[in-house]
Amino acid sequence: MISPTPEAPLLALAGITRLYQVGSETVRALDEVSFEVRRGEWLAVVGQSGSGKSTLMNILGCLDTPTAGTYRIDGRDVRGLEDHELADLRNRAIGFVFQTFQLLPRSTALANVELPLVYRGVPRRERRARAEGALRSVGLADRMHHRPNELSGGQRQRVAIARALVGEPALLLADEPTGNLDSATGDEIVRLFGELHQRGHTIILVTHEPRLAARCPRAIRLMDGHIVADGAGREVAALGGPQAVTA
Amino acid sequence: MTGARRALAEALEAVRIALGALAGHRLRSALTTLGIVIGVTTVIAIVAIIQGLNRSFEAQVQVLGAHTLYVDKWKWLNLSGDWWQYRNRRPIGQPELQAILRESRLAVAAAPSTWSRATVARGDRELTSVAVNGTSSEYLAANGGAVRAGRFLVEGDAELARPSAVLGTDVVDQLFPGTEPEAVVGQRILVSGKPFQVVGLMEKRGRFLGMALDNNVLVPYTTFRQLFGARRSISIAVAAAPGKLGELEDELTSILRRVRRVPPDRPDDFTLNRQEQFLKVYQGLTGALYGVAVGVGLITLVVGGIGIMNIMLVSVHERTREIGVRRALGARRSTILVQFLVESAVVAALGGALGTGLGLAAAQLVALATPLAAAVTPSAVALGLGFSAVTGLAFGSWPAWRAARLDPVEALRWE
Repeated sequence: MISPTPEAPLLALAGITRLYQVGSETVRALDEVSFEVRRGEWLAVVGQSGSGKSTLMNILGCLDTPTAGTYRIDGRDVRGLEDHELADLRNRAIGFVFQTFQLLPRSTALANVELPLVYRGVPRRERRARAEGALRSVGLADRMHHRPNELSGGQRQRVAIARALVGEPALLLADEPTGNLDSATGDEIVRLFGELHQRGHTIILVTHEPRLAARCPRAIRLMDGHIVADGAGREVAALGGPQAVTA
Repeated sequence: MTGARRALAEALEAVRIALGALAGHRLRSALTTLGIVIGVTTVIAIVAIIQGLNRSFEAQVQVLGAHTLYVDKWKWLNLSGDWWQYRNRRPIGQPELQAILRESRLAVAAAPSTWSRATVARGDRELTSVAVNGTSSEYLAANGGAVRAGRFLVEGDAELARPSAVLGTDVVDQLFPGTEPEAVVGQRILVSGKPFQVVGLMEKRGRFLGMALDNNVLVPYTTFRQLFGARRSISIAVAAAPGKLGELEDELTSILRRVRRVPPDRPDDFTLNRQEQFLKVYQGLTGALYGVAVGVGLITLVVGGIGIMNIMLVSVHERTREIGVRRALGARRSTILVQFLVESAVVAALGGALGTGLGLAAAQLVALATPLAAAVTPSAVALGLGFSAVTGLAFGSWPAWRAARLDPVEALRWE
């Protein structure tokens, strides 16, 4: 891997465009989007549904590749990577947290958290130790052998966060992580992200809730595939209020 | 290094997932694999029975001797309609035997054999329809077999046409019940009304194609001729040195053609029979049976395989989101492919294992309940397991390929 200088951005997007073919029409989901994310930043991506934020998240997470433009993670251009190279990149560089948790229902919390390490070929004993460590760090030391259906929504999302953290990825990518939780539990999860930010993790939080974006040091607002605001979370969230009503 | 470790970890994970998925749908898995179970059961049972038959048949044919040619007027097991050609041949007799003994360099032993049914008696005990066999001292070397007590016929017996007799075990058991073998040697018996002295007893030989081989009396061929007449055709058993059977056949053909003055443009007027002829005819019969069994088994496996493919397609569909999650966490397409291939192979192999067990049990039952034999060979077991696992892989490959081709974004969004 390239060892970056301290100033080099962790993520660099330049002119990212993503086109979809829907029937005979071409949809421009992202249009010339450019921004950078430094190591240790906590960033919210906000926007209405259809604004392009899901497409952006998929590209940031290397689940999808842009039609045009360059996307560099740690200086490495993801364009032209083979499918298996993208899979390895997701495994090492990205930790996903989903709105619907996306835990494997028949596996215990521990087995769920171990999964990214299985795909990295980490030996069983080390895998187990690291998964236990990750679960402890999200406050689930006593729930390791429970299956998802034996856990509350908040606990499930903590398992998912532990799974995202266990591989020590460069980027934590959360998609509406509080969307399926009541507000009290959602607040807990946001506080947990705050702690992780304090510990130095780079976090991108994709959400449609301005309230959540307001708690992030930085936020980007997308609309119709364009960045319409990029600034302090509170300001961008406030901007979004009236726009959300008119949209 | 890490590649191999990763592959191993993924393979173990795949087996774990497969077993978990099967345990999660016990009834469904059981029904899915039923086709495979039935197919493998059928094939294993039939194969076990056929192999059992083959073994017992081969063991029986062994009494004919693998290195022995039988010079005969008749061809064994001649199923075509040209029997009259054989019937019109001149008989085979002493000139042929003498020529073989004198000229053959590849023959280890050559013994004449001619036989007749006759009554054998001792005191008031009388056995009708015993096979009386006229032969020479080389009989054992040419045909196989061993003496249990006393001695076999010697050259002097034939030269002097002595009334010496060597008894098969069935004859001994019936004429001398409860008598020690050594005590039987030296006793007198009547063969077709003429007195003979027992000089030896044969070891038990068993049965060949349902015929008792031990209900016989061996006497010198010269004595036999005096008793039953000299005009009948004889059979000559000629043993070859190991590995020389083919050369011996050529040598005997040329000796016999010369002795019997067969013109060069005429076919042989004698036959060199060998053990293999029985095996060939027999294998032709069981081969057809094998073919039918394997055909039925393959059709059932295909049906079972389609069942597996169907259920794997359902499974892939149901687990679309799981596939998306795994892809997001770093599973490659190949990882997903292997995962589902392993799953279908495991279902099929479990069915195969069950079918193998049932098939062997069925074969044993048949062997117990009927005269048919059953042989459990490792190859049959390997065949059952191997075939079913291959079926699983073959029919699981399309569902697995579909799973691997899923777009992670679509799969994660799937409801």
